[in-house]
Amino acid sequence: MIAAIARKELTSALRDGRIVWSAAILALMLVAALGSAAQRYAAISVERAAAQQLVDEQFRNQGDKNPHAAAHYGIYAFKPVTPLSFFDTGVNGFTGVSIWLEAHRRNMAEGEPARDATAIARFGELTAAFTLQMLLPLLVILLTFSSFAGEREQGTLRQVLAMGVSPVRLLLGKALGAGAAISLFLGPIFLLGLVALLLAPGGTHWLSHGLLLAGLYAAYAAVFVFLALAVSAGADSSRTALVVLVALWAVSSVALPRIASDAARLATPLPTAIEFQRAVAADLETGIGPKPVDQLVAERREALLRLYKLDSVEQLPINFQGIVLGLQEQAGNAVYDKHFGSLFAALAKQLGTMQAFSTLSPRLAVQLASMELAGTSMAAHRLFADQAEAHRRKLVDTMNEAVVTEKAGVRGGAELWGRVEPFELRPEPLAATLSRLGPSLTVLALWLAAAVVAALLAVRRLRALAS
Amino acid sequence: MFRIVFAQELRNLAGARTWWGILGLLAVLIVLAAANGGSRFARMAEGASRLNDDETTLQRGLRDAVARYEAGPQGDPPSASSPGNVGLSLLGHYARLPFPALAALSVGQADVQPGYYRVTAKPAYTFTGVSEIQNPLTQVLGSFDLAFVLVFVLPILIVASSFDLLSREKEAGTLALVAAQGVRLRTLVLAKIVARAAMILPVLLALVLLAGVIVGADLADADTLLQLLTVFAVAAAYAAFWLALAVLVNSLDWRSETNGVVLANAWLVFVVVMPAFVNVAASMLYPAPSRVELTTELREASEAADREAAQARDAYLFDHPELAGAGAPLDEFYLKVLASDAAVEKAIAPILRRFEEQAASRERVVAGLRYASPAIAAQEALNALAATDNARFGDFSRQVQDFHARWRAFFSARIARGERLRATDFDAIPAFEYRSPGYAPSRQAAALPLAFLAGSAALLLAWAAARFRRYPVV
Repeated sequence: MIAAIARKELTSALRDGRIVWSAAILALMLVAALGSAAQRYAAISVERAAAQQLVDEQFRNQGDKNPHAAAHYGIYAFKPVTPLSFFDTGVNGFTGVSIWLEAHRRNMAEGEPARDATAIARFGELTAAFTLQMLLPLLVILLTFSSFAGEREQGTLRQVLAMGVSPVRLLLGKALGAGAAISLFLGPIFLLGLVALLLAPGGTHWLSHGLLLAGLYAAYAAVFVFLALAVSAGADSSRTALVVLVALWAVSSVALPRIASDAARLATPLPTAIEFQRAVAADLETGIGPKPVDQLVAERREALLRLYKLDSVEQLPINFQGIVLGLQEQAGNAVYDKHFGSLFAALAKQLGTMQAFSTLSPRLAVQLASMELAGTSMAAHRLFADQAEAHRRKLVDTMNEAVVTEKAGVRGGAELWGRVEPFELRPEPLAATLSRLGPSLTVLALWLAAAVVAALLAVRRLRALAS
Repeated sequence: MFRIVFAQELRNLAGARTWWGILGLLAVLIVLAAANGGSRFARMAEGASRLNDDETTLQRGLRDAVARYEAGPQGDPPSASSPGNVGLSLLGHYARLPFPALAALSVGQADVQPGYYRVTAKPAYTFTGVSEIQNPLTQVLGSFDLAFVLVFVLPILIVASSFDLLSREKEAGTLALVAAQGVRLRTLVLAKIVARAAMILPVLLALVLLAGVIVGADLADADTLLQLLTVFAVAAAYAAFWLALAVLVNSLDWRSETNGVVLANAWLVFVVVMPAFVNVAASMLYPAPSRVELTTELREASEAADREAAQARDAYLFDHPELAGAGAPLDEFYLKVLASDAAVEKAIAPILRRFEEQAASRERVVAGLRYASPAIAAQEALNALAATDNARFGDFSRQVQDFHARWRAFFSARIARGERLRATDFDAIPAFEYRSPGYAPSRQAAALPLAFLAGSAALLLAWAAARFRRYPVV
């Protein structure tokens, strides 16, 4: 029975010119979005890889000099783009694309593409994720807003119910039919996206992410299917149903994300760049450890002199200056850990506020989860920043160790520079990504449950006659 | 006849609860949006006022050290009297862009472009790349400001109140009755349009002025008031466009429900889809110059220039013979730094120029694309009026570059001449003051989008008038 109802729904959807046209336009937009973003991804990917290679070469070929000078010479870490960024660019337009790694300083990422973009870019980037988040619910609404209300107005609902079809079965059949229609329209695009992903360099690692994304958007569509059926069943006319559903869509997809953004900003203000620098500079000067750096240096000096039974550091078999540099670097790193840590904590709190608002907006929940799965969220950017910082520390430590071990006329050469491995971003395991999806997936699950319950309640009191 | 119909229309609208609901919702949203924008800019202004506090204290301390030495020279001159140490190592100056009160009406690019730079005597590219700390996620999601309410929400309200302008009457049968009484269709439609305008526009004007008050604008100032009125004019023209579109759709003689769907689709296309497409078109036809490429090119160029530092020093004095002082320069080290900086800048100048030219011509090309959608035109006009568009930040950036040249010249001249800083010199250290073009140029910039919106509305109405000639009233 349910299957028969579903088949009927599907057939009438395919016969409705408005629906077919809308689906075709949506499909076209998706293809355009995927195509343009894939091309951009390919270009950016190549460019970043080449840039990283270039700066690695520059570091290797910097000539002979004191290793600590090489630590000041530094290197750039360029942020690679993940293959799924062609699906959802996330925050990539607003985060820096490179970090300058040098001794004594932890820098922030620079070169946000948004600085060079036009104001029109703020309307939203045409990505598949944007298209699906904004337009897929409208297609669903178009498919189902007159599902019950329209049949009631035409009189066919009375006939179907008179035949003894249970309203719940009717609901499930219509939901299945809508789902089948959407799968039919978007299935080919999904396969296209999957192929594009597998063809992209490094794409196979992200296959599971891609499939999860498909599941995410399927759940998103399902929320709207049941919500629209609930409203259609409960509304007194199909016109009312349409207005209510579109209003719901407009508020949750267009207005709420912005309100959430401002609420997050107001709830947890971030330090300004000046305040941040000032705080860091103050802590660097006074030190935050239990003992000031000078004392640590003095203690180490005493310990070494006692160990080797010598009178002065010049007699030591190692270069004490390297040890001093190491201790200073450690002290500095502790300060940066503290301040960057609290900055990231503030960003996490802002995300928490947005996730709280996402309980009112399924679009926001999907948007946040989609970014995580595509590897274009703030957490992904933090992964890059943390790994770049780890690379910086390793580079500086390698240089300082060289200062320690080489005694007279400390000079490093290509051999020493070659000891520093080129920077390569290691993607995080899927489990780590999934652990961050908890809030968004919970919200989506709640919405789906609520929508199903609302639909079941609405059909239980289904009115066969139009008033 | 018109007056009678118009009065009836007004009565109909005033009696409808949904109508007051719509106006009430608009009022609430505008007040909230203005308050939100105001709080953002208030926080920015508060932080900005303290920008130069540290530098001022530092400068005073250095000046005092020099003054003490001048009063009673004992031992070596203090490091505070070395222009190299002070100019190239210690001091910087925060050049900031003050925002007018009305900036809070449209956040525009203010959350992306830097509102201040720390100018030092080093090459400009060392400090122009730094940005304010923001959460990129909040930048992606956008802000709930007045511009958002006007560009996104106002059309929905206009459409909701006029999608069944005429079709409702036709379906109810009253159109035939009214026509039978000798009222011309043209008169009726005009009355409906004017009635709606008479109810929306005064409210919109009041709300825009209220928004101005909320964000702290001084309405007594004629220039500010004129600016607010221009904001209202843009909003009114944009509203007129949507009203005209609704009238046109009604003239096509479809059912009310169909009208609603068509207009909702139009909103979707103009406000959501077209801008995204325009984005893609802009980035494909005229991609933004690559910052990654800029970074690596700057690195290579400064690399090469550094290696030739010694030759660079002589070349510098060769280029600036007026700076070669009698006797050996005191700041030998800093002179080398200046020279290598000059060599680096010479090497990277063509790269930076190419980058800026590409960005500028891109901005010009994309500017034409704003007429692809009334939503884009309205947003850009509002950004310009709020002084938060890219043009304002571009102007700020250029003024900072000029100031940077003055700042550096102040110290490099003294470094090259081997002079010591005196206490009076500290009083003469240049400070940045942004020369605001005022509101007038932004009104000129908004004139074209405004004309586009009003012109489009007129065109749609003309088209509708033509269709109404053959409109069946039964």
